[in-house]
Amino acid sequence: MITENELRALVGHRFPGGHYRIAHWENWLLTDCTGRAPMPDDLAHPVVLFHAPILGAGTSIAELFRLGQASGAGSVGLESYDWEYFEPLREDVEYRVEGSIIEAERTVNDIGNIVDRVAFQIEMYDGEMLAARVTNRWKFRRELLHADTR
Amino acid sequence: MVHIGDVIPSWTMDSVDPARMKTMAAILRDPYPVHWDRDANVAMGLAGRVINQGPLNLGYVVNMLLDWAGPTCIRRLTVSFARPVLDGDVVVAGGRVTTINVHNDELRAHCDVWLERDGERVVVGTAVVALSNNFAESL
Repeated sequence: MITENELRALVGHRFPGGHYRIAHWENWLLTDCTGRAPMPDDLAHPVVLFHAPILGAGTSIAELFRLGQASGAGSVGLESYDWEYFEPLREDVEYRVEGSIIEAERTVNDIGNIVDRVAFQIEMYDGEMLAARVTNRWKFRRELLHADTR
Repeated sequence: MVHIGDVIPSWTMDSVDPARMKTMAAILRDPYPVHWDRDANVAMGLAGRVINQGPLNLGYVVNMLLDWAGPTCIRRLTVSFARPVLDGDVVVAGGRVTTINVHNDELRAHCDVWLERDGERVVVGTAVVALSNNFAESL
């Protein structure tokens, strides 16, 4: 299991950064997955703010799992999202993306299991304009001492 | 016209679809098998079920807001995830206006939002939504 010092050392880890262009096909499929008809006027469905920042920042869900040393099914859970939209996101716009891990702390939940909480923040820029910012908090469950699917 | 305390028209997903989870996993490049491999969830006591992606759960709340206030209305979403949503679940997104203000000449509604399954809130949070001129009499 990752040590507490290793966990704390994640704070400040910067993702490589890069660019992301939301393709029509992925926006169409993503929107369909939510159960909605396609968005009008090349607008991206707001839920694009999950994967576009992660991939655009040059990282991936798999790498985030590795950084947090996830240990298998049920070991990772979502804590919270804070997503800010400063302009509507659109298909085929090249966004510059950058971000880092901003928080990492070890906690013990109310039934005695160790839960490490890790937060990362990523910003998407349209030219020099900040278009969107996400702050996502994930929890990594360690050594399941008690049955817990939260 | 929008008032503090107004209830946002709900949005229902009649049955959370495991096929959509697979498509979503591919779009997200999500290697977490709990979303597409029923056998992976045996250890969690969920044999035969797969867990919906958090972004999809939030997507139902988003769809409710877009239907209410238009396709470019969302300014901020802050949510936490209380319980997993599984394939076959019926979930209903709901919301209520808590505050109305003006920010940089834009009329905005601050709302409590949630996603419910059988009356249990599985996602809870807040949303900031821009109100179009159609709502201009709100203040």
